[in-house]
Formats: sequence, C-alpha cells, structure tokens
Amino acid sequence: MKSFANVNARDLKDAAGKLQQAAKNGKTAAIAGGGSDLLGMVKERLVTPDVLVSLKSVRGLDQVKEQRGGMVIGGLITLDALSRDPQIRKSYNVLAEAAGHVGTPQIRNAGTLAGNVCQRPWCWYYRNGFPCFKNGGNTCFSITGENEFHAIFGGGPSFIVHPSDTAVALVALDAKFRIVGPAGERTVAAADFFKLPTDNPARENVLANDEVLADIRLPAAKAGSRSTYTKILDREAWTHAVVSVAVTMEMDGAPGNGVCKTARVVLGGVAPIPWRVPKVEAMLAGKRITPELAAQAGALAVEGARPLAKNQYKVPLTQAVVKQTIMALGG
Amino acid sequence: MKKISRRTFVEGTSAGIVVAAAIPAVEAQQKQPPAVVTDPGVPRTAIRLNVNGVNRRVEVEDRWTLVELLRDHLNLTGTKIGCDRGECGACTVLVDGTPLYSCSQLAVWMDGRSIQTVEGLAKNGKLDPLQEAFIEHDAPQCGYCTSGQLMIAKALLMKNAHPTRDEVRTAMAGNLCRCSNYNHYVEAVMAAGGTAPSTGGGNA
Amino acid sequence: MTPLKTVGHATHRIDALQRVTGGAKYTNDIYLPGMLYARVLRSPHPHARIRKIDLTKALALPGVKAILTHENCDIVWNSGDQLGQRKLFNNPVRFAGDPVAAIAAANRHIAEDATHLIEVDYEVLPFLTDLEEALKPGAVPIHTGGNLSLNNQRQPQPQTYKRGNVADGLKAADRVFEDNFTSAHHNNAQLEIRASVAEWSGDKLTVHAATQGIANCRTDIARDLKIPVENIRVISEYMGGGFGNKNQNQDSDLMAAMLSKQAGAPVKLEFTRKEDFVAVHGRWSSRQAYKVGVKNDGTLTAIQMTALTGAGAYRKGSCDLSGTEIYQVPNLETSVSPVYTNTAVAANYRAPAYPQGVFGIESLMDDVAYALKMDPLEFRLKNMTRKFRDQTPYTSSGLEDCIRKGAEKFEWTKRWKPVPGSGAGPVKRGAGMAMGMFGSGLGRSSAVVRLDGQGQYYVHVGVTDVGTAAKTTMGLIAAEELGVPLEKVRVVWGDTDTCPYSVGESGSRTTVQTGMAVIEAVRDLKKQIADKGAPKGSEVLTAMATTNPQPLAGVSRNSFVAHFAEVEVNIETGHVIVTRFVAAHDSGRVVNPLTAQSQVQGGSIQGIGMALHEELLYDKRSGLPLNAGYYGARIMTHLDAPLVDVVWVETDEPYGPFGAKTLGEPTIIPTVAAVANAVHNAIGKRIKSLPITRDKVLGVLA
Repeated sequence: MKSFANVNARDLKDAAGKLQQAAKNGKTAAIAGGGSDLLGMVKERLVTPDVLVSLKSVRGLDQVKEQRGGMVIGGLITLDALSRDPQIRKSYNVLAEAAGHVGTPQIRNAGTLAGNVCQRPWCWYYRNGFPCFKNGGNTCFSITGENEFHAIFGGGPSFIVHPSDTAVALVALDAKFRIVGPAGERTVAAADFFKLPTDNPARENVLANDEVLADIRLPAAKAGSRSTYTKILDREAWTHAVVSVAVTMEMDGAPGNGVCKTARVVLGGVAPIPWRVPKVEAMLAGKRITPELAAQAGALAVEGARPLAKNQYKVPLTQAVVKQTIMALGG
Repeated sequence: MKKISRRTFVEGTSAGIVVAAAIPAVEAQQKQPPAVVTDPGVPRTAIRLNVNGVNRRVEVEDRWTLVELLRDHLNLTGTKIGCDRGECGACTVLVDGTPLYSCSQLAVWMDGRSIQTVEGLAKNGKLDPLQEAFIEHDAPQCGYCTSGQLMIAKALLMKNAHPTRDEVRTAMAGNLCRCSNYNHYVEAVMAAGGTAPSTGGGNA
Repeated sequence: MTPLKTVGHATHRIDALQRVTGGAKYTNDIYLPGMLYARVLRSPHPHARIRKIDLTKALALPGVKAILTHENCDIVWNSGDQLGQRKLFNNPVRFAGDPVAAIAAANRHIAEDATHLIEVDYEVLPFLTDLEEALKPGAVPIHTGGNLSLNNQRQPQPQTYKRGNVADGLKAADRVFEDNFTSAHHNNAQLEIRASVAEWSGDKLTVHAATQGIANCRTDIARDLKIPVENIRVISEYMGGGFGNKNQNQDSDLMAAMLSKQAGAPVKLEFTRKEDFVAVHGRWSSRQAYKVGVKNDGTLTAIQMTALTGAGAYRKGSCDLSGTEIYQVPNLETSVSPVYTNTAVAANYRAPAYPQGVFGIESLMDDVAYALKMDPLEFRLKNMTRKFRDQTPYTSSGLEDCIRKGAEKFEWTKRWKPVPGSGAGPVKRGAGMAMGMFGSGLGRSSAVVRLDGQGQYYVHVGVTDVGTAAKTTMGLIAAEELGVPLEKVRVVWGDTDTCPYSVGESGSRTTVQTGMAVIEAVRDLKKQIADKGAPKGSEVLTAMATTNPQPLAGVSRNSFVAHFAEVEVNIETGHVIVTRFVAAHDSGRVVNPLTAQSQVQGGSIQGIGMALHEELLYDKRSGLPLNAGYYGARIMTHLDAPLVDVVWVETDEPYGPFGAKTLGEPTIIPTVAAVANAVHNAIGKRIKSLPITRDKVLGVLA
C-alpha cells in the first residue's frame, strides 16, 4: 500500500474536522469505520489516501437505541451486532436479515452499517482500475462489455448496481440518515441519500468528502408490520446480491387471512440505487396476498426493465424473487 | 512464541492417534526477523497489544496489516496469507475473542486489543481438542487454510459448544479450502464439539 | 486381495501435528538474515512491444537493491513454454500480466512502491482473446508461425489419434448425433500464494520453492540458469497445494535467484493472489465438436472429436483433450488444435486434459442414451471400454464395479428421472453420472533407506506433499515392506541435499513410482541385513534404489472412476445446488483409506466448482481479466460443498506398490459431466458451455 498516516478521531465532529484539515493541507483523506473495504481499495490503489481517519476510537456510535417510538442506530454498529439485535429483529426484521446476509461472519464482525451503506460499487471495471466514471473517467465499460451483473433499471451513464444489502432494507424502512460535517449536521431521507448516475456518475450518494454518516433513524414500527429480505447469491455464501428484494408489509389480521394495508418493495442488485417499486406497492395496498397477486406483483416489478446484452436473466430472476418474497411474507 | 515440544504432544494426545515421528530434512532456522529499513517519512505508531497471552509493545508502520505484523515482525507465521483481500479466510485470528480477517485490519487499529492466533491454541503443551480432532479426522490436506479453519472453529465452539452440521458450515462459510476437504473439517469440528455428524449425503 | 499390516489401514498424516499447530514452515514462512523482498511489475497490455524502460525513479527509491528487466536478463524459462518461446522477461509482452521487471528491496512495501515508479513506454499491438478469431487469416501472430501451436511432435498440425475409419463407422450407424461443447479457462486457486526464496553462497544456490517436485525444480533451475545441478539445493518441506501449477520450476524461482545474485543478499519473491490467477496458469479452455454413430440397440460405431484448446499466450501445457478413450468403439478419430491468444497461460490443473473433455463426450452420450430410450447407466455399461484403445488388455479394471456399486450407493433408480425435467417445479431434482479413466504407468524414481543401530529406519524420498499425504504413504509402504510398525519409520523429505530423485507430485505418480523405489530400496536393505547383520551402536546400513521399469508391454495400467450427482434446480431463479454425490474409484489397493478419502472428496468438490462457477473472464475490448481472485471465481465454500460418499473398488492389480494405482487426479475427471448430466435430468434442457451459471440456466429455460 502507498504509505499513509492513521489518525484516531475522538468523535464525529473531530473526524469531519480532520477530513477538512487534510484537504486544506493538500492531502487526500478517507474515513475508516470497519476499514475492511477501504483497505482492500487502498491495496489495489483505487484510492490512495495520505491520511486515514479512523473512527475505531469513537465511543457510543455503535448502539441501537429507542427514540420517540422509533430507533436510532449508530453508524459504527457492526453488521453482526445489528443482525442479532433483538429489537431490530423484532420490529425491523428486513434490516437484521439484510445485515446478516453481508459477506461472511468475519466480514460482519468488522464491517459497520455506515460502511456498508456507503460501500463503493463492486463493478469489475471499477475495481480493476478501468478509467470509468467511478475512477474519474468519462465512460462506462459495461455498456458494451461484460454486463452480466449490471443494472436493468435506472442505468446511465453508469450502469453499476448499488452493492449494499442494508441500503435496500433502509429505503424500504423509510430510514433517515443523520450526516455530520465540519459545519454542522443534516438529516436526509434514505431515498434521497442515494443518487442516480445522472446526477454525478462518479458518486453513489450525497455524502460530501468531509462528511460522515453518523446514525440512521427508523420510524416507529406500525402495528402488524412484518418485513423480510431475500438475497440471491451466485454461490451459497460470500457474494454481493445478484438480485435482492426488501419487502415490508403492514398487515391487518394474520398473514394468509389478513389484508396488506400498505407495503414497501425495494429491489437490490438491479439499479445504481436501491430501487423502490411504488407501482407494486400500490398494487398490494389494501389487498389479501394470494399466489395470483404475488405473481402479478412480480410481473409488474420488472415492467420497464431495460436489460443489457448479458443481464437479461435478471428480469425473470427479479420477477421470481419479488413473487416468492411477497408470498412468503404475506401469504 | 512458546516452544512446543513434539514429544509432549505425542504423550498428551489420545491413544487413537498414530504419530510417526516425522523430521523435516532441514529445520528452518527462525532467527530474529531481519532489521527493517524504513524511510523516516513513513508514518509509524507505537502500539501495545496482547498476543497469545503475552503483552507486546511494538512500533509499526501505519500501513502494516495485523497479519503482516504477526508474520513479518513477531515471528508468528502460523497465520497464513491466502489472498490479502479478505476473500479466503486463511488469515483468520481472534481479536478479543472475535474472528476477523487479519489481512483486513491495520496493526495500529489493534492498539489495546488481545489477539489469539493458532500458536496460542495449545495450552501447556496440550493440544486443543479441535487440533486433536483435525488430526484424527484428516482435516488438513495441504494445511494452508488449516490455521484459519481452527480459529473460526474455536470461535464457534466458544459460543456454541455443540453445533449442528449446518451451524458449523454456516459459521465457517468465510473460510475457503481449495483442497476442498470440507467434509472432513466439518466432521472434525463436530467431533470436537461432541456432536455426531449426520449420516447421508448432500446439502439437503 | 490379501489384507496387509500397515498399507490399507486408515492412518493419520505423519505431519498433521505441524499443520495444526502453525508449526509447518511453508516457503513464505522462511525468513533469512538480511533477506530482501521482491515484487514483479507486469504488462498492463495484452500485447505490446516495450520501447523503453526507465528505471531511474525506481532505482532512486531508498531501499531498492536490484532490478531485472529484459534488458539485463534474457534467461529462457524452458518450463514456461514447451517450445522454448518464453523468457523470464519477454519483449513483446503477450498477455496482461506478462512480467516486465522484478524488483528486490529492503522491505515488501518499498518493493511494491518501486513497481509504481518504473516507467515503461509500450507500443500497443493488436490482440486476440478468442480461439476462432486467432485462427483466422490475418490475425496478429502471437508467436512466429502463427497462432496454431505445434502438436506434441512439434509439427504445425493438430494432435490426432485414429483407429479404424470414422466415415465408414458413421455410415454403418443407424443414427448419428452431433453436438458442440465449450469449457472455460479456470484456475488452480491453491491457497498458498506463490513465493520463492533464493540465497547464494559463493556459486552455490539454495532455493526454497513451493514446488511439487524438488528434483525436477532443481534440474530445471540448473538448465535455465546454465549452472551445474550439483550447485543447486531446492528445499520444500511443506507446500500449500498447487494441483499442477507448482511442477518443474516456476519463473519466480529464477527471478528470485537472479535478483539475489544481483543484490548479493537472499531474496523472497512473492506474487499476489491476482498475479497467481493471471500470471501463473489455469486449466485450458476448449471448444469441442463431436459426431457419434450408434446402432439402434445402443452399440457405438464411431466417435469423432475435433477441438480447439486455449493455450493462452505461451505453450506451457500439452493442451490436449481426453475423454473419448473411456468408450469401446471400433472407429475413433480425435483432433485437438492448441491455439494461442493474448490471455492467461494454460497448463496443468488436476487431470489437465480430462474433465473438460469428459464433459463434452459424456454430455453427448447422455443425449444419445435418452434418444435411444436407454438408461444412461445401461448405455455406459454396454459401451464402456474393456481394453485400452480396444486393443490392449488392462492390468486390472474395476470400471464396471465402479458404475454398478456407485449407482447402488447413490440409489440411482430412485433419483434418476427417466423423463428429464419431469419433476414438479419450481424446484426440480435430477441425477446424472459419468465415467472416466486415468493412466497409471510405472516410471523412474529413487529412494534411500537407512537403518541405524537403535533399530530406527529412515526413508529419504524427494516428496513435498501437495496435500496428498505423500509423506505418510511413503512411510506406510516402507513399513509394510519392512514388516515393522509405522512408528519405526522416519520419513525424510523435501530437500535435494538429503533426498534422491522423485518424479514429483504430478500425474498422480508419487505413490506408484516413488513407492516402487521405496520397496526396492527396502528389499536391498533387507538383503544387506541378511548378509552383514543388523547394525549396532553407531553403525548405519544404507540402501538405495532407482527403479526405472520398462514400459509394460502388452498391458495397460489405468485407474477407473464413476461419479454420480444429484442436483436441485430452481427453475424460476436458476439456482443449482448439488444435493447428493457419490464417487466410486478403482485405484487398485488404497494405501491409506483415510487420506485417500480426503483426496476423492476434495477432487469431487473442486469438480463441482468447475461445473457451476469458475471462469477467468476477460473483457474482449481491452483484453484484460475482470474477475481474477477468489471472490470473482466463486470458489466453493463450506456451504456449497455437499457430502461426498466414497466407494472403493479395490481391484487386484499385479503391478505397482502393493497393487496401488493412481488416485489424486481421477478424482475430478467425471465430476463435471456428472453434474451437467444431473442438471439436464432435472430441467430437461442441456447447457453445453461451462461453467453452468445461473444466467445460462435461466437462458435455456426462457
């Protein structure tokens, strides 16, 4: 690795300040939460920070706390702790499942929620240092290349798919992200945090270079709510989602018998951002979940998909996964 | 690093193990690690950490990974590097009892932490039951992934003393074995945990 | 078969203790005083001429001690290309990853930093990634003479075999079947990264090499560096797998040696995992076309196979294709053309020419069986080989028992669907099988056996133990022949200074060849004891043997194997998982059933990975690899691996050490075909290109 200095931040404001200071001194800096993904990129020289601002010494940002009926989850919580947290499993199961599906046990023991949400793409052109949008260039090599794992929705000019499992769940949960910078803080809705490449193809979210994702707020879980995350992997463990779906439902009555009052359906592995499908949500609202409805929802979910030359299979796959998950959750 | 006597193990292990004394043709001389030339411009930090029960105070380059510190500078070569990218698990160690990929953690981040490597499994010359089970069930083929498999299995048994076959496989999903000796690894871990592996084949 | 005292009994590895305590020293665990670290700079282009290399900035970096490039090092790496076309540093460079420079520095970070300071001016050349494109007229020649590599007789022609007359055979057929199959380049992916440590003492060179054969590594280094063999010592006490990519010498051995010479200090050269995938080698890809003629009663009349194999940028491997030899058929013609492309080199990976060829022929034969409404099992039993090339009797053949007993253990009639795809969806199960064979010739090897005055025996053999438990096997064979318990035998291994020639662990030959040498040495020792009496006090008796048996005349020695797989396919998601697997093996007498079982289970699971996941994928427009590494290759994990049941068919084999035959490589030979046939049985559609990934499954079902 190119040499760098590790500096330990006392708290988030200190971290943001250190990022800003580095920039002022003409040095590049990066935040290390769990650090695993960042180290991998530094080893590949995809990023070559002069300064690593480590958050490992920051205290109190890895907790799950109730707040006004909802939850506040510190950004530094490990994916393992998040996946096992009893409150999250009880009321926001989709997030626990998503966190539990990331990587491997060792990765989950180190990786943080904030790190997972802010993870850079795993597109092989980007990761192999091709001069693409994500590497500061002005093209996307997947369009005419090996696009087996690239976007079928929302692509252009970059066709990456967002790599994070937890991001998909958080959009489905209407989460809010609290961001801390040198000037202060701001709160952004999950759906507004992730940005399509038409905005700025070099980035996946609204975080500025000197900002840190501090914590994530979940609204109070509604009565009768249930949720789940289905992830399709290309071996039995340890890959990013080929396709995934997060579904939440507010049920009135028991599943199979009851009615789905409202639903959230968000897709992963298909678009540069977690891909919410409002028309499917509308289709489910107020209905009893039956195999026929689930099948229709699956078909509707892929309407308008624009596959590339090699990822056509993602269309029937997404359709099947949406159908199966809706049925499993509400049927 | 504690010197471990082979004779002690032969005496201390279960009767079922046939250990023909095997002397390598050359005993690799593990002298002190060579002095490292460093550019004074490269940032360094003094850290304290506990490794296999021994307190250490070392000065590390900020860019050294934990596995690099262990292998290149602390003479603990039992932990292996298979990919250096967190994609194989060979470098698994326990940090405060938690299994992590040591290639994916900086040494500086280990300040104040307690590390356990494969060298720290045996206690007072007595093999850990996992090590005995690995020998008994022929878990290592080439042996390169074995240290990592031992550490992740150790972490599992510390939390779940009698895992089922599926629990073992799930807990160890982050450790590759290219010799693909998975069947024997699982048998060994279950034997160490006192559970009989299920008969029959397949993933079903 | 008479049971024996030590051979044939489950025995723990004699070095298991070292492996489970972190005490085993692999090459990368060697640290020498004053040792330098080395890294390689590689071409970022698939095909380019180097105009200029500027080392100024790199040499100015404090701690850089030596740099090699094509300008100061023109050593030919003869094991890297069978035709002598490959140097350590080539100009032009012929694949992305071809070495351009090697740097030795005071520590690993300086070495790595230095690779980024070397400035190379390349003239980029047109490149090829596709086998058929490479053969078109006007395609840029990767080597002089064009892109069709020479055959094994060094002629600019395909590798061919012929018996009978296929045209006649096809005419005599009631039905003719034709089909094409492709397989991908994929990697050995052993866990031990490549490392070489070299040290000079005057004109004596010591190389710590991660090698499957210390003797061959040593003679190769002598040949390539043009120094006497006796000046070289190769040491490999423990090595972490290779499956064929650590045979002979590797370029890292030579680079480390030359850097060490230039720097005047020991050098440890390390490759990264990506370099291991891209710049060492993998199994060659293939495009296979078959024609099969058959009578209505299922008797084969003709088989024709024409194929292209992907050598990559250099001709490191034989690039041949096997598979058709498992069938009895009067008319057989095969033609294999190795083709160069500007991609990763292909050479030995566990049964190098077999699983991809068996995938092709066994997929087609499966279709033939279905078309004739025959159980695929019955079809194999009817047409399986009974004599080698229909001509030479086998010394022993358990192929029929492998098929029958394997089928019984697998519950073939319960799991196989007479109508493929007839299961109720969306999750469908199906079963498939395939058969195979692998030559087990006798050959040259040596062993030294000593007895000291305390009654302790020592067996010196040049084995390094890839993971096969070769050390233990040699000990068991010696103990059996000596008539003593294994504890009385100490195996000495892994150092050319103390161990005589062994063929090395390739071609699954150690047990057979070095094992025979051990037996002969023991016999000589027993004679000496009879003549002189047992040694007393500080006396030592030493015996040595070099076996170099004549090739067996009039008989053919082979191992036989049949694999059975059951899969579950979700036809909505394209998910495939192996739910049951049985491997039936005839390797003659099994020397150590415990470690042999490990080998079979391991090879089978590797084969499943080859069938379902692995491919080194290239971007066509840039000629660059996209997914090198464990993550990209989707290597099998604990959760992917099924339980593998092993059925031993121990035939009474007259030759070889106690009747043992090859074991390590047959373990992967029919695996891929068995899985592919199972997928077809489950979904009623056949996927004819490896790996069988989700997109292909969903593609045929669409």
